[in-house]
Amino acid sequence: MADVLLSDAEKTFILHGIQDNLREDGRGCDDYRHMEIETDVVSNTSGSARLRLANTDVLVGVKAELGVPEPIKPNQGRLEFFVDCSANATPEFEGRGGEVLATEISTILSRAYDNPNALDLKSLSVIPGSQCWILYVDILLLECGGNLFDAASIAVKAALFSTKIPNVSVLKGDEGQMELEISDDPYDVKQLDISSCPCLVTLSKIGYFHVVDASQKEEACCLARVIMGITQTGLVTALKKEGSGSLDPESVFDMMETGKKVGEILGKNLTAVLKEEAALGKKRKLVGFLR
Amino acid sequence: MPIDTRRITGPETSQTPYSFCKEPEKKALLDENQERWDGRSHDQMRPTFLRAGVISQAKGSAYIELNKTKVICAVYGPREITRREEFSMKGQLTCEFKFATFSCQLRRQHQPDNQEKDLSIQLLEALEPAVCLHKFPKAQVNVYATVLENDGSALAAAITCASVALAYAGIEMYDLVLSASLRLAGDIVLLDPSENEEFKPQMDLQVNNGSLTVGYMPSLNQISALTSSGECQLDVLTKAIKLCIENCQKVYPVIQHCLMKSKNLEE
Amino acid sequence: MAKSVVCIPGQKLCRLSEENCNGNGTYVRNGYVYSSLAGYLCTQTVNDKVLVEVRSAKDQNIVPSVGAIVTAKITNVNPRFCKCLIQNVGQTQLREPFRGMIRKEDVRATEKDKVEMYNCFRPGDIIVAKVLSLGDAHSYILTTAENELGVVLATSDAGYTMVPISWCEMQCPHSLMKEQRKVAKVQQQYIEYADNKT
Repeated sequence: MADVLLSDAEKTFILHGIQDNLREDGRGCDDYRHMEIETDVVSNTSGSARLRLANTDVLVGVKAELGVPEPIKPNQGRLEFFVDCSANATPEFEGRGGEVLATEISTILSRAYDNPNALDLKSLSVIPGSQCWILYVDILLLECGGNLFDAASIAVKAALFSTKIPNVSVLKGDEGQMELEISDDPYDVKQLDISSCPCLVTLSKIGYFHVVDASQKEEACCLARVIMGITQTGLVTALKKEGSGSLDPESVFDMMETGKKVGEILGKNLTAVLKEEAALGKKRKLVGFLR
Repeated sequence: MPIDTRRITGPETSQTPYSFCKEPEKKALLDENQERWDGRSHDQMRPTFLRAGVISQAKGSAYIELNKTKVICAVYGPREITRREEFSMKGQLTCEFKFATFSCQLRRQHQPDNQEKDLSIQLLEALEPAVCLHKFPKAQVNVYATVLENDGSALAAAITCASVALAYAGIEMYDLVLSASLRLAGDIVLLDPSENEEFKPQMDLQVNNGSLTVGYMPSLNQISALTSSGECQLDVLTKAIKLCIENCQKVYPVIQHCLMKSKNLEE
Repeated sequence: MAKSVVCIPGQKLCRLSEENCNGNGTYVRNGYVYSSLAGYLCTQTVNDKVLVEVRSAKDQNIVPSVGAIVTAKITNVNPRFCKCLIQNVGQTQLREPFRGMIRKEDVRATEKDKVEMYNCFRPGDIIVAKVLSLGDAHSYILTTAENELGVVLATSDAGYTMVPISWCEMQCPHSLMKEQRKVAKVQQQYIEYADNKT
């Protein structure tokens, strides 16, 4: 990951601040940074969202394409996550530089979404066994300012919220074969129910305490973190310890407790904000980039 | 996808015939008496066979067998860092987790897929906290774990096996890393799940359905690996982690004995 | 040496007190000495203190460290530096060699500016050197700027092992040709060690 260089004195400063529940940017240990989110920012996608979390900038595009379902689950569509660590974020990502990070983000996301309740994949089936919708979720990291996992997952959830899949009617052809008729009316679409989609919450262990939404500097002080996928009802859909350090069992339980608490609030607030934005309808003013 | 000319690649895409069976054989998790299919009690591990020092060329090696889950692991180093990397005062640990192509129900490819990459990282992060990396600056230790046959709990087996191989290799470590896995399904908790007991996302069930793997350092009382999938309530998960730790502590004397025995044999 | 007690990594050995200290293969945490190796527990008395060590039954894992005496083979010589492969660290033979490098200014202690690399080392020479620093990502930086360090074994053009005749010359016993080298004054105790070994 794009690393910042910190001296020992700076690290101690951050550490002491966290002990007193006051972080270098004035937040408490369980606070997120200021977040800006906007959906439908890229016109060529089925759904898209852009999230800016302080310095972290993530753009997510969802494209719905018709394809063949996996033989093992013939009556379901599927989700595919791809993460692109753009060299815009840091030159270290050039070439294959960001590959490890990209795989890490996409695997934890697919794991968090990999349960039957996260998203109704059955509704993505068109003709069981032969045609289904495949949602390609592409995550583009534009700027790294710490806490990429959470940012990516929030943006993914928002993008899925805004995803519009054209309605398809299946007609019997002359010779008994199936024919698909895809509606080109932009309003004849179906939307996904994202109420049980998880958000990732990363808890970084710094000293004897843990923080949510670590900034880049705080990430440099942290040896071990726990990444959790939390739905807004407080269910844990994925759990992973990350980093080169190890953790005391008690502190893991503490971290999970915090993660659940924070994740629930985060999920609820996100849904509320997205609904509010959608309610604006056409009156919504597009902000987009740098406008 | 690039084609590896040195190997027989087979047709570009092929499917296992089993997925086209009319009625895919769907075995329930438990039999009619709420017993496990292999006759174990819910909190019983499979019989474990573990031996250190099975590969003579490697600095250290170990082989673990949990009934049909078989993992072999080799450790090389400390050796010179081959790839061009930045200078660091700490040593480097690299891990490769590989499923043998024939080890699973479906054939695997030679090139590492996403799951293998993910498991490699998890293995690395499980072992890294235990190894005294500062003892070999500018050098690297390579750990290779190969699953010969996968019948569930492969990651847990690989973590335990790799830490024994590291200890056998004489790499300085703060502690051994032991690992246990669990399957949650509603109220049922199954320890050390086999392949058909493991969590599979296409099964739709009630909440609290998932699986969990914990890597634990018994002497330091630290968790070094933690990974779960599936949907669970927090308190259920917490209990499950505790159960895994308990189980690791139960296995500890056995692993200890295995290492001691292997050391004595050398005399 | 009693080899009865077998330890494994993470095993608690004893409390760290004023009467004892911890040596190789152990580490200290919260006032206790723990084993970091799988091996045998060894205790010996050094300076009125009990030294607690764990020794591995296998050969030790050793990497070159700053100040260590290493034995290396020259692979490549150019006017500014020469490259070598480190074969031994102290008396332990390495399983795989590490790359080392001797810069022109580290060859000898005096008249550093007059050093000509080709008159000091030739490819194939076996040298004894000291590790100066861990160097860069590629190689360790070695030095031979001591009387005891330098070439110990060299082969003449005729293919015979040469005999040192001064600190900068070696002679072939067969052709009597003299060749220039940075010769090490090998210490008596090491020669004895080599004799005992064979």
